[in-house]
Amino acid sequence: MRILYPFILFLLLFISSCSRPRELTFMVGGSPNELLYWEKVIDEFHEKTGINVKLIRQATDTDQRRQGIVIALRSKSRDPDVFLMDVVWVGAIASSGWLEPLNSYIERDNLDLNKFFSRVVNEVDRYRGNVMALPVYVDGGLLYYRKDLLAKYGYTTPPETWEELLQMAKKVQARERRKNKNFWGFVWQGAMYEGLICTFLEFSSSFGGGIAIDSTGRIVVNIPQNVEALKFMQDLIHRYKISPPNTYTELKEEEVRLIFDEGNALFERNWPYAWGLHEKNPELKDKVSITKLPHRKGKRSASTLGGWHIGISRFSDVKDEAWEFVKFVTSYEKQRDFALNLGWNPGRIDVYTDTVIEKTAPHLVLLKDVFENAVARPSLPYYSGVSQILQKHLNSALSLSETPQEALQKAQTDIDEFIKKYED
Amino acid sequence: MKIKKNGEIRTAYFYISPLLTIILLFILIPIVGTFINSLYRDITYLPSRFTGFTNYVDLIKLSDFWNSFKFTTLFTVVSVSLETVLGISFALLLKEVFTGRSFLRTILLIPWAIPTAISARLWQLMYNYNYGLLNYFLDVTHTGAKVNWLGTARGAFWAITIADVWKTTPFMTLILLAGLQTIPDELYEQAMVDNATMWKRFLYITLPLLRPALVVALIFRTADALRIFDLVYVLTGGGPAGSTRTISILGFHYFVNGDFGTGSAVSIIIFLLVFIFSFFYIRAGRFKETL
Repeated sequence: MRILYPFILFLLLFISSCSRPRELTFMVGGSPNELLYWEKVIDEFHEKTGINVKLIRQATDTDQRRQGIVIALRSKSRDPDVFLMDVVWVGAIASSGWLEPLNSYIERDNLDLNKFFSRVVNEVDRYRGNVMALPVYVDGGLLYYRKDLLAKYGYTTPPETWEELLQMAKKVQARERRKNKNFWGFVWQGAMYEGLICTFLEFSSSFGGGIAIDSTGRIVVNIPQNVEALKFMQDLIHRYKISPPNTYTELKEEEVRLIFDEGNALFERNWPYAWGLHEKNPELKDKVSITKLPHRKGKRSASTLGGWHIGISRFSDVKDEAWEFVKFVTSYEKQRDFALNLGWNPGRIDVYTDTVIEKTAPHLVLLKDVFENAVARPSLPYYSGVSQILQKHLNSALSLSETPQEALQKAQTDIDEFIKKYED
Repeated sequence: MKIKKNGEIRTAYFYISPLLTIILLFILIPIVGTFINSLYRDITYLPSRFTGFTNYVDLIKLSDFWNSFKFTTLFTVVSVSLETVLGISFALLLKEVFTGRSFLRTILLIPWAIPTAISARLWQLMYNYNYGLLNYFLDVTHTGAKVNWLGTARGAFWAITIADVWKTTPFMTLILLAGLQTIPDELYEQAMVDNATMWKRFLYITLPLLRPALVVALIFRTADALRIFDLVYVLTGGGPAGSTRTISILGFHYFVNGDFGTGSAVSIIIFLLVFIFSFFYIRAGRFKETL
């Protein structure tokens, strides 16, 4: 009989695990300090609502995070119930029918959507009229500049147009080169990766172009404004020589930030995360400032929208609890905590005017304006394939192996060909 | 010898059955699975559908595929040739008895012992435009302006080849050294008596007797070179402008983009390529005679 004890024990455990209160599963990745912070958020949520949340940790790498989520959803798994999505996947995941529409919950609880960036909600989170996700934090491209150097050469305000930026960068670079051979006028992300799409979207949109989807659903990239913008990007490296020649091979976010951090650049295009790091650098303290990215004379400046959104799985078995968690994460208090503790830019617009925020993170006030006018990348199921094609041809143009005209023409042909596979 | 009793054969099969099971489970089934997958349109956000050989036909029509095919084969031929020549030279040198030989043998293995991703990063830092060692030397010696080593297709090709040769020559040397050690000294003594020159001794004694070891080393190296991924992924990421995209990286891009069908088709093509190369090597190695 004694031999049966373990089995009985096992059976008891099994039964007790079945009758335990239902648990919410939340899948999230990010840097170690972000994950630690999520644990705290979960504890607070448990205290407030009594709902248990199980954290499924994902890698820091964005692609791996997407794969983890997509594999679970594709197999219609009940877990995870809630997860974070990068701005560019929301459309794809929504179009697969894997997200629970949030409209009924929003109406039931009278959640005010105007408290969020309306452009972000409308362009990213809406799919066929339904709200499928909510922004947790937003991101956008900015222009960092050296206040001290601009003042030294007689400029009182940062550049508003690309023409002004060019002039300033040329002059300052020529003078600074006398002492510092490694000095560059303007550094930005041009290597062959997703970041190149972000910079291209900013250049092209601020030249009056952009990456558009026409009425038939076709992605259009080959338009004269885009050719002009790409030509300008190419010229920055090869003609005006104010951007380093390794822009198209090596420069990603961190490489660009390091050049600027070492005092070797006047202007830098980067995401808001660089702000905290530049601030901490004793040599740059009080010498750096941020502003909107420049635009072509007569056009409007543009910033590529980044950031992460929270959504509920359609296959979740605890949707009401999941909605409580979504509400908690996007609440005013939590959004402010994220900004104060992790330096995230809240997806809620009302947090930007918070008195604590205004005191401790004054740069956020300017960022609000940038995010309100941010441009989203096309939200499509096959976006990453399109991005890959575009990256290759944009990079070819920057490396002078194709002319801007050729590059965009070929990209257009390749994209049209590629999309055929997705039609049926 | 030829006639065996059925019982003996049965026992033999019984003894090798664990190995056969492992091969079947972990090698054959995945390959067949990948092949079946390559016949489907299997894309993340869409329902999957049988499409026959469409994925292969689409690939063959794609200039990107042929560019990566050309790059991969050219890289394989150049890097494996360099590694073979260097490997034989080093092996011959290290076979000689001299002070410090065991020390040299040990440090020779260092490049091979470093994980590829790390050594690729080291090389990337050396080639780096801003902080790289190469540009630092150019700067210090005033021999010329800084060069963007990874900035042109040709530069990137040689940058990858050099890093790969540096990394895998020790492997070649090690296997060939083992092969050299099996050649009896009497043969060389005999040749010395006959007044054979050093070149002739190498050509008629060393090379033929080294053949089995050489073929093994070549099979390993060629298969690795054809499948090369990590070094290129870290060093150039397939750039500039996609000029160093190897077949593996192309396949990886399909998988990352959620196109599992085409990704599988690329995998099968790599498999066939490696298979064909190995087949020729085994033929050329005349293993049937030696075994």
